Amino acid sequence: MASSSATLSLCSAFSSHCNVASRRSSVILGSISKPSVNLVKPVIGFLSPSTASTSRPAFPVAPKFAESVVEAKPETTDVEAVVVSDVAEDKPKREEIFAVVMVGGRQYIVFPGRYLYTQRLKDANVDDQIVLNKVLLVGTKTHTYIGKPVVTNATVHAVVENQGLNDKVVVFKYKPKKKYRRNIGHRQPNTRIRITGITGYEEYPASPNVAV
Amino acid sequence: MTRIKRGYIARRRRTKLRLFASSFRGAHSRLTRTMTQQRIRALVSAHRDRGKRKRDFRRLWITRINAVIHEAGVFYSYNRFIHNLYKKQLLLNRKILAQIALLNRSCLYTISNEIKK
Repeated sequence: MASSSATLSLCSAFSSHCNVASRRSSVILGSISKPSVNLVKPVIGFLSPSTASTSRPAFPVAPKFAESVVEAKPETTDVEAVVVSDVAEDKPKREEIFAVVMVGGRQYIVFPGRYLYTQRLKDANVDDQIVLNKVLLVGTKTHTYIGKPVVTNATVHAVVENQGLNDKVVVFKYKPKKKYRRNIGHRQPNTRIRITGITGYEEYPASPNVAV
Repeated sequence: MTRIKRGYIARRRRTKLRLFASSFRGAHSRLTRTMTQQRIRALVSAHRDRGKRKRDFRRLWITRINAVIHEAGVFYSYNRFIHNLYKKQLLLNRKILAQIALLNRSCLYTISNEIKK
């Protein structure tokens, strides 16, 4: 599936990063390997009925917020560091933030940089910038912005990647002994959007996260 | 009328059927007549369970939320939590709450404290 190939590509990027990190003697970088392992965890499924036919697994898994992700800046002095810094910079760029957004009548947990499948957005073309307004919850590492019902002025920016169809489901209706059977195939149209950023939540009253 | 043999018409239909039933157990993937019957049963079950799946997952989410909420306070439970949720006009559904309970439990405790006030 697309998501599994996405995780595989993430895996290869992180494994190369980890190899590079072990060469350096700095203690800080050693801790980066832990969060990368978490991010590559197989996606468990509770994706909404949007991908009912593909079953839950396409749902992205959040990195554990309880651990601290140490973002180390690579040193720019060494020659080796020049090559290393390109790989190392991929990881720390991702902000530790998530939002719960409502699209197409369904709610999704959304992270910047990941994609998700929603119901077909009628007037969207490929490579359109989209703004999702119904943000119900924004969570950062230290604070949670709980919308009542919506976090005001919060927006989630996304790019439309693909307008396609779900896998085919065969709708087979059958009544035994009554000579009634109907065989119908169905492909639900969907849209794949990639989340680019979550903004606009700073002014809203925040609740600090409770220690577990 | 000239004589017409049936040729490969039936065989083409049954090959598709064989492909569909290729993972079934025992005679259900080998014998043509049982394969047709089992295909019908499989498709009917799939159709019925697509409806049931929505119910099953909602049950699972409720159970999970209940489990986590019980640890949040002594006389606190899922029904009170949902009642508070509706009183404060939050729109989060049970799927999202169950996912937050799994991945980010402190966030769920924050939500429940916020709506208890």
